Amino acid sequence: MESVDPSIRCPRLGSDVPFYYCRKCGENGLPCFKVFDCWWEIFDVVAYLRDELSPVDFERLKGTKPKEKVLSLLEIIEKAKKNASEPPAQ
Amino acid sequence: MALRKIVLSEDEMPRQWYNILADIKMNPPLGPDGNPVSPDALAPVFPMNLIEQEVSSERWITIPEPVMEVYRIWRPSPLVRAINLEKALDTPARIYFKNEGVSPPGSHKPNTAVPQAYYNKVFGIKRITTETGAGQWGSALSFACSQFGLECKVFMVRISFDQKPYRKTMMGVWGGKCIPSPSMETKAGRDVLAQYPDTPGSLGIAISEAVEAAVSDTTGQTRYSLGSVLNHVMLHQTVIGLEAKNQLAKVGEYPDIIIGCAGGGSNFAGTAFPFVLDKINGKNIEIFPVEPAACPTLTQGPFVYDHGDNAGYTPLLPMHSLGHNFVPAPFHAGGLRYHGMAPTVSQLVNEGLLEAKAVSQLEAYEAGLIFARSEGHIPAPETTHAIAQVVKEARRAKEEGKEKVILFNWSGHGCLDLGAYEKFLAGELTNPIFTEEEKVKAAEAFKNYPRPANLKSR
Repeated sequence: MESVDPSIRCPRLGSDVPFYYCRKCGENGLPCFKVFDCWWEIFDVVAYLRDELSPVDFERLKGTKPKEKVLSLLEIIEKAKKNASEPPAQ
Repeated sequence: MALRKIVLSEDEMPRQWYNILADIKMNPPLGPDGNPVSPDALAPVFPMNLIEQEVSSERWITIPEPVMEVYRIWRPSPLVRAINLEKALDTPARIYFKNEGVSPPGSHKPNTAVPQAYYNKVFGIKRITTETGAGQWGSALSFACSQFGLECKVFMVRISFDQKPYRKTMMGVWGGKCIPSPSMETKAGRDVLAQYPDTPGSLGIAISEAVEAAVSDTTGQTRYSLGSVLNHVMLHQTVIGLEAKNQLAKVGEYPDIIIGCAGGGSNFAGTAFPFVLDKINGKNIEIFPVEPAACPTLTQGPFVYDHGDNAGYTPLLPMHSLGHNFVPAPFHAGGLRYHGMAPTVSQLVNEGLLEAKAVSQLEAYEAGLIFARSEGHIPAPETTHAIAQVVKEARRAKEEGKEKVILFNWSGHGCLDLGAYEKFLAGELTNPIFTEEEKVKAAEAFKNYPRPANLKSR
């Protein structure tokens, strides 16, 4: 069977991405939280992901609300500080 | 003969940015402890002079002369009467666009990249890091850093890095160092690569790398820069709307409708905020931020769900219309669901001062072609969303027989984004394209992709 992997323009990146990218680029390996908004014009992404994800992950994805930018920055800063203080692995 | 371009001389450029925080009330972001986030918490990544702007409530903030000097490379940008577009649409509306595509990187982004580079410079910073998606912001910051003798390191999401090699070259020409993310330069990048060597990256990873690169410089001479969303970014972009207001006044015009595409919100805010001030003071203006059409099931009608908790961890109540028989409802305004939309823009939508609009991918490219074939310039894909709304409003004006004045921001050119146009011209960009057979094929194609690991709960 011929593989189908259509690409669409990602409004966050500003360039074309295949569904493969949207499927895994979200937080903790979940699909991007915009995946429903972006792919609904192309195919029934809601039904597809409901089949593919565990019920817990599907509900989590559906309920994802973006964090306030400043708050997410603070989290990233704290994580970066921790990373910077760890010695590089040998 | 109707005047086409309305230009300001360099000495007519606005000398101050407009800060909308002086005129609206905002809820401050609250930290995990429930208290407002202290500005000092941002000090590891931003210089204090920019943090002061981030929280300032002064209405007018003077543009420093060194920033004005660099702005003059392309500013004031022309305000153009889109006469040919008006003819193509056979509308009584008078359409004006602010051409922000004339900047060196080709978009509105340097309006904030330049002052950000300047304020970092005067704070004693030597290097700036950032992330970029398709490269517009990375290009703008590289250009800005070159003007002030700063080093610039840009972590570009790998999938875009591979697709858009010319963006890396652009950054390199201006002295910026563009690195595909994830990279081996940071622990954040190394950790991801160890687990997923072939990952296409993501914006989240790229931001983590850029922030870590700034925070880990023990000399304290590196900071991070963000090109959208934050208050100081919106502030710097108001130079667009302030110029436009002066230009319209020169020809005795004032807009009835203002339109801008809204991703993170900065080009829209820059155009609209000076007019929002007028609207607050009683002017009758319609102001539309435009975004891609959101999935209607998530925003309206039959998609009924109820979380057991605010965080959305618990299972939802049963719902209907989301199965394979789901039929998308007509397009509608999704309401600025975009991640990271500027809080100021969201606040104004909530207050009803702005009315969010949504257009489909197909509408956007169709409008982009109408514009390019009438006005000549090829708009960036983001910009086509604004143009699609302009087309709708121009047609509405025709139906109503009203001579409305429409102002929109032409946020950038699309000459480095021709792939999407190529698809559109080839008929490959259409609205719902999957047949039932194709859906089955797609499921086959996707089924072997790695499943996400549940590393932790949110």
